[in-house]
Amino acid sequence: MTAAPSHLDLLEAESIHIFREAAAQFRKPVMLYSIGKDSTVLLHLARKAFFPQPVPFPLLHVDTTWKFRDMIAFRDRTARELGLDLIVYTNVDGIKRGINPIDHAPSIHTDVLKTQALKQALDKYGFDAAFGGARRDEEASRAKERIFSFRAAGHRWDPRKQRPEMWNLLNGRLGTGESVRVFPMSNWTEKDVWRYILREKLEVVPLYFAAERPTIVRDGQILMQDDERLQPRAGEKVEMRKIRFRTLGDYPLTAAVESEADTIEAVVAETLNAQTSERQGRLIDHDQAGAMEKKKQEGYF
Amino acid sequence: MSVHALHKIQPARDSASRLDVVPNLVRDLSGITHLLTCGSVDDGKSTLIGRMLWDASDLYEDQRENVRKSGRKAAGTDLPDFSMLLDGLVAEREQGITIDIAWKYFDSPTRRFVIIDSPGHEQYTRNMASGASHADVAIVLVDARSGVKKQTKRHTAILDLVGVKHVILAVNKMDLVGWSEDVFRKIEADFRTLSWKFNFWDATAIPLSAVFGDNVTAPSSNMAWYTGPTLIQHLEKTPSRASEAGAVFRFPVQTILRDGQDFRGIAGTVSSGSVKVGDELVDALSNASGRVVRIATMDGDLESAAAGQAVALQLDVDIDVSRGAVLSTREMLPVAAQTVEARFVWLSEDAYSPTAGYLLRTSTDLIPVSNIEIKALLDLETMASRPARSCGANDIAIAKISLGRAAAIDVFTETPGTGTLLLVDSVTGATMAGGIATSVNAKAEEPAEGHFVLKRDVLANGLNRDLSMNSKDREEFMRRANEVAIILRAAGVAVAIEPPPPLDDGMDPGL
Repeated sequence: MTAAPSHLDLLEAESIHIFREAAAQFRKPVMLYSIGKDSTVLLHLARKAFFPQPVPFPLLHVDTTWKFRDMIAFRDRTARELGLDLIVYTNVDGIKRGINPIDHAPSIHTDVLKTQALKQALDKYGFDAAFGGARRDEEASRAKERIFSFRAAGHRWDPRKQRPEMWNLLNGRLGTGESVRVFPMSNWTEKDVWRYILREKLEVVPLYFAAERPTIVRDGQILMQDDERLQPRAGEKVEMRKIRFRTLGDYPLTAAVESEADTIEAVVAETLNAQTSERQGRLIDHDQAGAMEKKKQEGYF
Repeated sequence: MSVHALHKIQPARDSASRLDVVPNLVRDLSGITHLLTCGSVDDGKSTLIGRMLWDASDLYEDQRENVRKSGRKAAGTDLPDFSMLLDGLVAEREQGITIDIAWKYFDSPTRRFVIIDSPGHEQYTRNMASGASHADVAIVLVDARSGVKKQTKRHTAILDLVGVKHVILAVNKMDLVGWSEDVFRKIEADFRTLSWKFNFWDATAIPLSAVFGDNVTAPSSNMAWYTGPTLIQHLEKTPSRASEAGAVFRFPVQTILRDGQDFRGIAGTVSSGSVKVGDELVDALSNASGRVVRIATMDGDLESAAAGQAVALQLDVDIDVSRGAVLSTREMLPVAAQTVEARFVWLSEDAYSPTAGYLLRTSTDLIPVSNIEIKALLDLETMASRPARSCGANDIAIAKISLGRAAAIDVFTETPGTGTLLLVDSVTGATMAGGIATSVNAKAEEPAEGHFVLKRDVLANGLNRDLSMNSKDREEFMRRANEVAIILRAAGVAVAIEPPPPLDDGMDPGL
C-alpha cells in the first residue's frame, strides 16, 4: 500500500485534471505566462498534465516593456530550454502614446498596457480559452472565482453570469462570443506555491532571492532601479540595499522588501513566517476599494 | 516611521531557529478537508468562520490588522467583527448578505482546511447545493434560541442529495441561552431525529459561541457539562470524500496523449477504486478491453494508481476509446445507459423548457438529450414529492432523461464519482442543473405521446443516406438526428428521436 497523498499531491492532481479538461474541451487554448513564481508552477503542472506529449498550446506573455530585465532573460531561457511555443505581445499603440507607469497613474498604465493588450492578443490569435495562475486566496473578490471563468463578448466578466461548478464536472461548452479563463491553481495558496517550488526543485527568477540592488525609496515603498528610465526625483537618491521581491511585475510598480533570504530554503522560511499578504507589494491594488473586482469586470486577468 | 520599519520582513517569532524549522514547515500537510458552512443569515455563520480563521489559522498580520482597524464590532459586544474576514464582492458588502460561494483556505498544524462558505437564504438553495457538492464535511449552523428549523431540514436534505457524509450541527449563540445544557440537549435530540432520515455516516451536535469562541478551538469553561470535542478537534478527525470513494475501479477518459512514437496514453483521473499494472480494463460502451502495461506520469511510471490520482494508462492493445469513455474492470462495469433517472437541483434563472435543447454532461462525456420528463418536485422540508411537469431555479426535480446515445453512468449512491450529472443548454452552453443518477437503464424508452418523433428509417433514407453501418457512422447518424431535434425544439416543436433497437453484445445492432 502507498502512503495517503499529501495536500500538495492532491492539489497537483486537481490541477492536472483541470488542464486536461480544458485542453479537451476548448478549440484554441493558450497559457498566460507572466514569468513569476505562479507561472512557473503553472507551467510545470501543464507539462505534467500532458507528459510525454509537449504542452499542446502556446504560452502568451503580455509584455508592457516595463518588466525587470531578469524576468525577460528568464522567460526566453525557459522557452528555449523547454521547447515552448512562446508568443510575446505588446500594445504598441499604447507605447507610442507614451503610456508608462512612472508618469501615469498605475490604473491607466495597467489598463492600456496589460488589460487592453491582453484583449488585443486574445482577439488577434482567436484564443477561446486562456489558462492563468490566479488563486482564490489572493484577494477577497477572487475568493468567489470559478475554475472556468466565463467572459462575454468583449472579455467582460459578469459576476451574475458565472456558471455554478459542482463536483469535479467542468462544463466548457461556450455560447456565441464567449471565451473562458481557466484557473488550474484556484485552490492553491501562496505558501503552497513556495512549498511546491521547493519540493519539485523548480528554478525561479533570481529577483525572488535577496541581493544587493540599486533602489529608490518613493512614497514609502522601495523600488528597484532596473534601468535608467527610473530616475530619482528631488530629495530621492539611488542606494544599494539587500532586497528581494515577493511578487514580480512592472518594476516601477513592484515594491521590494529588505531581506537576507538568498536561498530557496530561506525564502520559503520567510514566506511561511510572513506577517503580510503578498499583494501588499502590488501598488496597483491599493488604488481604490474593491479595486481588483473592478479591474476584473473590465477584463484584467 | 523609517522605511526600514515599514518594509523589513518581520523575523520569525523564534528567529534563532528559523532555518531549522524549514523542513518542518515545508512538510506536506496530511490531506485536505473541504468544509461547507451553511445556515441562516442571522445564525452568525460569517462570525463563526471568521472566528475559526482568527483562532486556528495562519492569518497574515495585515489581515488581522484590517479587522482591528475597522472598528467594527460584533453585534452587542465589544469584540472585533470577525465576519469581515469573509466578505467578498463589493455588491454583497453593500447588501450585507452573502449570495455567492466564497472559498477560504487555512492550515492547522496537520491539515489543510478549505472553507466553502455558502449563502443561507432559501432563494439560494442552488448556491448551497453547488458548494456542498465539493464538501467532505458540513457545518449546519443553528441559533440556540430557535433550534432546528425548516431551513435546517432543507440544508440537511441538500447535503444528503449531493453526497456529503459527515455533518456537524453547530448550536451557536449558547451565550444567549445562559449556556444551558437543557436547551442544547433538546436541539441535539431534534437533530438526531432529523439526521436518521438520511445516509450520513456521522452527525454530531456541538454547543458553541462564535462571538466568544467557546468550543470553536478552545474548550468552553462556560459549558463544563459538555465533554465532547471542540469544532476544530472534530474537523481534524473527519476523513475526506476521496478517501471514501469506494472500491469499484472507475477511470473516466479525459484525453489521449501521444509521444509521437509508440506511446498512446489514456489520460484521466481515477475517480474510485485503484488500478495496477497487469489489470484488464474494459470500456463498457464498446466492450473493448486491454491490459495495463504502463501507468505513466512525468515523475516516472507507477505500479498502481488510486482514487484522486491523475495518470496516463497504456494498454497492451490499442482499443478505440476516446474522451467520454469510462474504463473499469470486467466484473463491475458501469451501465451503458440509454435512460437515466435523476435528482436535479435547478441552477439556472431560466426554467426548464420542453422545447429547449439540452445536453447531459457526465464525468467526461457530453451526450445529446433526446427527451426529459420532469416527474416530480421534492419538498425538502418533508422529503415528500409532488407530481410536476416543469421546474425552475432552486427546485429539486425528479426526472427521467432519455439519451441520444448510450453513456457510461453509475448510480450515485453506489459509485459517486461517475454518478454525477450536469444539464447543459445546447445553445448557450449554460449549466442549467446539477444532479445525481438514481437509476440507470440500458434500455431505451419509447418516446412520450404528444411529441413529434424523428423516425430512424426516415432519417436513414434521407438526411443520413450517405452513412454506412460502422460505428463511426452510427455516431454521426445520432449527431445529425440530435442537431435536427435541437433545431426543431428551438422552433417550438416538441420532438423525440426514435430510440435505437437494443444493443446485443458483440452483434451489429444495425440502425
